[in-house]
Amino acid sequence: MLLAARGVGRRYGHHVALVPVDLEVRAGRSTALIGPNGAGKSTLLAILAGALRPSEGRVELAEPPPKVGWVPQRPAQYGRLTPRENLELFARLERVADPAGSVTRLLELVELPDDDRVAAELSVGNQQRLNLAIALLAQPDVLLLDEPTAALDPRQRRRLWELATVMSRGGGAVVFVTQNLEEVEHFADLVVVLRDGEIVFAGTRAEYLETPEAHVFE
Amino acid sequence: MTKIRLLLGKDLRILGRSPVLLATLVLYPLLVAIIVGLVVRYAGERPRLAFVDEDGLPAVLEVGGESFDVPTLLDDAAKDVELVPMSRAEAERQLDAGKVLGILTVPRGFTRDIKSMVVSPVLVLRTPPGGLATRTVEKAQAFVYTLNQELQQAYIGSNIGYVELLLEGGSGTILGNDFTLIGLAEARRRLEELTGSSDPETAAEAQELLDFLEQTTVAIQGVDDFLRATASPIELETERKGGRAVLLSTQVQAYALALTLAFVALLLAAAGIASERDENVIGRLAGGLVRLGQLVFEKVALVAVVAGAIGLVLAVAFGVVVELGDVSGGQPWARLAVIAVGLLLAAAAFGALGTLIGGLSRDARTATLVAFLAALPIVLLGLVPTGAVPAAGWISDALPFTHAAQFFASALGDTDPAGTLAREGGWLVGLGAVYGGAAWLSVRRLLT
Repeated sequence: MLLAARGVGRRYGHHVALVPVDLEVRAGRSTALIGPNGAGKSTLLAILAGALRPSEGRVELAEPPPKVGWVPQRPAQYGRLTPRENLELFARLERVADPAGSVTRLLELVELPDDDRVAAELSVGNQQRLNLAIALLAQPDVLLLDEPTAALDPRQRRRLWELATVMSRGGGAVVFVTQNLEEVEHFADLVVVLRDGEIVFAGTRAEYLETPEAHVFE
Repeated sequence: MTKIRLLLGKDLRILGRSPVLLATLVLYPLLVAIIVGLVVRYAGERPRLAFVDEDGLPAVLEVGGESFDVPTLLDDAAKDVELVPMSRAEAERQLDAGKVLGILTVPRGFTRDIKSMVVSPVLVLRTPPGGLATRTVEKAQAFVYTLNQELQQAYIGSNIGYVELLLEGGSGTILGNDFTLIGLAEARRRLEELTGSSDPETAAEAQELLDFLEQTTVAIQGVDDFLRATASPIELETERKGGRAVLLSTQVQAYALALTLAFVALLLAAAGIASERDENVIGRLAGGLVRLGQLVFEKVALVAVVAGAIGLVLAVAFGVVVELGDVSGGQPWARLAVIAVGLLLAAAAFGALGTLIGGLSRDARTATLVAFLAALPIVLLGLVPTGAVPAAGWISDALPFTHAAQFFASALGDTDPAGTLAREGGWLVGLGAVYGGAAWLSVRRLLT
């Protein structure tokens, strides 16, 4: 186990976004979080990333603590900095050994322009690539992806899933939120289905495919 | 500290790429400096008064045997006001149009009264209602005081002339009556002759008169000093030296500095922290990269650096304006380092308050608007005189503006400011810590 949510719940005032849930993120596994809008998927992912504090429960980390890369649905980057400046800043904050070298490598990996244009001037797709690149800076053990392919073109989607597959096969873990069932079928080892803030199904991909009541979209 | 430095560098870089914001930050204090410059210049300027001569003052005025050149007399006395001769109708027009601050009228009978030396002549000053009237009256009073001093010297000189006539004898004129006196000296000589008379009774009376005459002469010889002492029972001797004085310029500068910091620091801090939220970065930073306390500290530091630097430029600009305006008091040069410390402390305190506002706001636009709306009453509360409304004073004490203004006023104007600087500096540090703590809670709330 690299990361685990233990009785993690989240409320916004009287509104319950996530009833207490348990989830373990294991090495070498790719987990899909699926469910209709407002099911609590992004909330759970943000809590796992440490970007949101749970109202109850806790997030446990393995020893030594794994590095976690988070790709939120809405890009989390500085709009008035160029992609390189964004990446260098986060690389230094992450204490990456060779910030400039890592940034150059990642810019090439996600095929981002290395020019004077600031992030706010990039296309939505390129902003999402930058979002992904920032998450990859520290060479994370756990990659948390919140609908990462929504704004990507087919080529970039393919590259992303290749990367995710390499990562999970290399002993890392990937947790991704998606509305795309094809992505679940092709890339998920485990599937967790949420509805109204509750986990209504958790099992392997095969189990999911064989459980019609877990298909909450249909 | 490295992480704070990285975030600070990032914010300064972003600030440098926001031309409108940067221009506003530069132009805003410049605008304040210009306004302050005008006010300070006004502080050293003579009010313009319409001079309406209804009596037809002569070019040369004879008072108590002394001749006065009236234009020269008015010029000499008018160092506090600018007198502009004009007709009554024109004066009324200019007063209504605000081109003159008052009308100084020489009423009919003025020359007659002044010549009589029996009735005090009257000058009439009319000012419009409003805040400038008090200052105009003060300046006009100074003008009349100077005029009286000029005339007083003539009156005393004239009276002393009569005393000398009494002592030495000769011819003179009083109230149009010519006369000739033998004088006490001649009277004494003649009495001395009589004391040698063969008639003992005459000689004794002459000796008695001579004794009286000697006593009178001694007494009259002291009249010069008596007259001067009676004219000015108390005299103010002004010694000009390089001391510092609390003048209008000092107060204006202190408030302008505090006001600039209030607006710039509050807005910058509120927008700064709210922008982190708008860009969705707080979550990423809080996910193990930066502690929230470091993020709040960085915003406060950013504001302290930027607003402090703007304040310092402003203080120097004020100093130049004060020098050019030839206004005494309020020059910052000797205490620029102390002022710089005050600027940093005040900017940090305002920055912490602004960060709190930004942390409580939903987005950067709201934060900026709330910070702007908050800055105005904070400044106005600080302008309410201490003791006038106790509640306003208490609230103001809990805000940085008053303490910043008092710190700057003391640094600029007090001869021994150590106590005030320590007290107000302590307030600013304390308020910065309290608001910084509250700001940390407000930012933490964003993640909970």
